[in-house]
Amino acid sequence: MARQTLEGPLTRDEPTALADAETVDTALAASGDASAFERLYRTHVNRVHSLVRRMLDADEADDLTQDVFVRAWQKLSTFRGESAFGTWLHRLAVNVVLARRKTLGVERGRFHTGEDPLEGLSGRRETPEISMDFEEALANLPDGARQVFVLHDVEGYRHEEIARMLGVVPGTSKSQLHHARMALRRYLDR
Amino acid sequence: MNDQWTDRLSEYVDGELANGERSALEAHLATCTVCRGAVAELRQVVARAKALENRPPKADLWPGVAQRIGAGTVVDIRSRRFSFSVPQLIAATIALILLSGSGAWLALKPRQTQIVVTPKPDSRFETINVSTHPTDAAIADLQDVFERNKSKLDTATVRVVQQAFTTIDRAIADARAALQADPSNAYLNLHLADTMRRKLELLRRVNAIATAQS
Repeated sequence: MARQTLEGPLTRDEPTALADAETVDTALAASGDASAFERLYRTHVNRVHSLVRRMLDADEADDLTQDVFVRAWQKLSTFRGESAFGTWLHRLAVNVVLARRKTLGVERGRFHTGEDPLEGLSGRRETPEISMDFEEALANLPDGARQVFVLHDVEGYRHEEIARMLGVVPGTSKSQLHHARMALRRYLDR
Repeated sequence: MNDQWTDRLSEYVDGELANGERSALEAHLATCTVCRGAVAELRQVVARAKALENRPPKADLWPGVAQRIGAGTVVDIRSRRFSFSVPQLIAATIALILLSGSGAWLALKPRQTQIVVTPKPDSRFETINVSTHPTDAAIADLQDVFERNKSKLDTATVRVVQQAFTTIDRAIADARAALQADPSNAYLNLHLADTMRRKLELLRRVNAIATAQS
């Protein structure tokens, strides 16, 4: 059995210790402690920014990431601790992104059903291996396929959840995911 | 490549086909090299997606966030290394409690110095009287758990925790005594409830830490 001392280093599992630290910071931030909130920001900003960048255009990512954290600060009092703070924040980020997409009226290519969604978008189909890496190829998917791919394969949401978020049926989510994967096969080595 | 199974390959990769369909597709894969190759590539795409690394933004976005949430001083903490020990976590909880305790002291102090504060007749808090019976029961339960678990913690840690309990219990007793004289005092009622909630939180956290040692 590991024991703890007041002077010695933490002897528990590091993930548990980090989770405890985050719990403390979440409580402090909810009571208005901006320094605690900054620590939460530093912990999660990369994941939030990457999610936003993958689901929207890169030039939107900075502003939307800031929006996510401002919304999180405003809504921290509603966080009940039923899930980890990171899980709660991530779902909030998805909601902010989807709301932004509605505002922008992003609809182009949403129901693309062709064999190669990337064809014609890059203009370099003959030599994709030297023109795009996997992330760039992802960014060039039609919006519907891109959203579903990011939410399902990158972020781990299930089709039923994605369907609810996007207002489509699960079959559409599955179809979009398959088209995205088929298109991305050529960029595996990048 | 386009046969009857082409559009079902991702569902197969994700294990979402019904048993009958899966068996039929596997029979097809045994004879179709194109579909077999596609399945292998789809699996690689899935693995690649899971392995994508999260990248930081090119610029530090915190100053913009700090400005929008009204944080006073923007401190660059990126170079600092944060680590928390269990005593530090407990200390943070105790600090919160003591801060609250100082609030109670400030509330009680005017009574001791004969400064009379007359509440406004229309105060919306004037008749608040918070029941603490459920919290008493919860604290008693958690206290029992703590008594059983404390052997899993270092004796020095247990000593600090028990000192914190003594401080909290004193604050609770003071608040209750003050409420005897002024049962409808809104601040005292809320302070009592808040102090008991903090004791609950400390008990929960310490018990969780002790349990993690098992």
